[in-house]
Amino acid sequence: MSISVGLNCPACGGAIQISEGENVLNCNYCGSLLWAEGDAGVMTVAFRNAQGRDSVLRATEEWWRKGFKARDLRTKGKLLECYPIYLPFWSTTTRVAGWICGYEERHHTDRNGNTRTERIPKEEMVLHDYRYTNIACDPGDLGVKFLRNVSGEASFADFESIPTFESTTSKDDMVEMSKQNALSDARSDANVPHITFEKVTAIPKQISQIFYPVWVVRYSYGERMYMATVDGVTGKVLSGRAPGDALYQSLAMTGGTSVSGLIAAGSIAFGIGSGEGTIAIIGLVVGAAVLGFTYRFFRHGSEIIEGDFDDKRSSDLGKELRKGLKFNVGGFRI
Amino acid sequence: MKVIQIKCPRCQQPIYSKVKDRAFYCNHCRTMHIRNGGQEVIDFDIGEFNVNAPADRLYMPFWRLFSAFSINQSKVAGGTIHKLGRMIKGEANGGNLFIYVPAWETEVNEFKHWSVGLTENQPMYSLRSDFNNVERWPTTMSKEEAMQLADFVIVTMEAERPGVLQYLDYGLQVHDARLVYLPFVRGPSGLAPGF
Ligand SMILES: [Zn+2]
Ligand SMILES: [Zn+2]
Repeated sequence: MSISVGLNCPACGGAIQISEGENVLNCNYCGSLLWAEGDAGVMTVAFRNAQGRDSVLRATEEWWRKGFKARDLRTKGKLLECYPIYLPFWSTTTRVAGWICGYEERHHTDRNGNTRTERIPKEEMVLHDYRYTNIACDPGDLGVKFLRNVSGEASFADFESIPTFESTTSKDDMVEMSKQNALSDARSDANVPHITFEKVTAIPKQISQIFYPVWVVRYSYGERMYMATVDGVTGKVLSGRAPGDALYQSLAMTGGTSVSGLIAAGSIAFGIGSGEGTIAIIGLVVGAAVLGFTYRFFRHGSEIIEGDFDDKRSSDLGKELRKGLKFNVGGFRI
Repeated sequence: MKVIQIKCPRCQQPIYSKVKDRAFYCNHCRTMHIRNGGQEVIDFDIGEFNVNAPADRLYMPFWRLFSAFSINQSKVAGGTIHKLGRMIKGEANGGNLFIYVPAWETEVNEFKHWSVGLTENQPMYSLRSDFNNVERWPTTMSKEEAMQLADFVIVTMEAERPGVLQYLDYGLQVHDARLVYLPFVRGPSGLAPGF
């Protein structure tokens, strides 16, 4: 964990560095043992904004060119506004310690077709730290719910100049949610298919509040308005909405309908010819599914969506971040 | 966010240390205190070295959990020995037990080794009232976390024996935790008990 914040020793004034979640520290100058405490027990750090308007716009234009976005976006896209904000996130570390026991079943079939089931007993030790981040306010239509990056220079220097959103969600809820997530992540990492015994404890190790700089870019394309957000530390696009390309849409539409038609027609013909009614029905169902997919793509294909949106159809980013970052720091560090 | 200098709650002397240590020991009045929200003065034990212990000595911190423990049923595939059952003194299937939890920053095998080893074979040592200038290893684990690791130690003892644990039904209540400094000796193959 590389977030650290610069402060001064109350005894001698020397510069000290605090790492996220660490309460005890010692002054390298006078040797005093020091205690760091956030408001209401929560440490707060802010990341320095490392991006400017130019780099943010460059990143957005590069993003326009990727995927099935409208190909004339670079010429027709019109920038409306571009500004940084600080978004609050909760960041937690939860230790999970315990054992999950049970068995795995393996099926063996011999030459005569007799099936035998083998039970393989399993005992899995669980000892990991899981880290979660979650936005601490209503993300609105920004499409940013988790932190992708947790390293950078910590500083409150930009706090005066960049509008800051306050935390509105409860710290206790985040701790509880992290415990539940850590337990289920640990269970899935242990990978015991049939559990006969389980004793697992989730221990909250630390919670901190991170203010993270995010740039909001709003632009128009034709009559419609779109947006994108850019990571103020790494400069990468975090989320956004963009117009889809009409050519890709029509290709998908015609391709989709003809494929679904072919599947349905082919299976009916095959069904009648062979007298196998089930194949025809399966063919019809598959055909209908392909048609349905095409319809969805056509309807929503006019807009490409990336990021942590609730109605997201186009990206899996949110899903992979929902699972905690697992720390196997030599197994166990106390 | 604020940073304060840690001072002894009894004599108000500042506490100095070259390492990060969660157990704050005052060299002036020998008071130990911990912090978690507020500050708490704690009792602690210092074990006496065996007279024959070699010179490279140090004190390792443990949270010793005073617990009530009972075992109801245990099932192991491919194993028979019942480690936990043998340990309990007193009633037929239950009694009091000291669980030892290493309080320093360890690696997982070292943690298992000392927690299981000392809980199984409870250390015998006499007490002394100061550290006698022997190096004191820093405590990094909080009392609360140690208490929450009690179950892990208990199940590890049963799971680490031959065979694959399939079922364990036991009762465990941790009543209290005390910081215990046990005498150790640094040797060529790592730490060895010095009591
Ligand atoms: Zn100082
Ligand atoms: Zn004192």
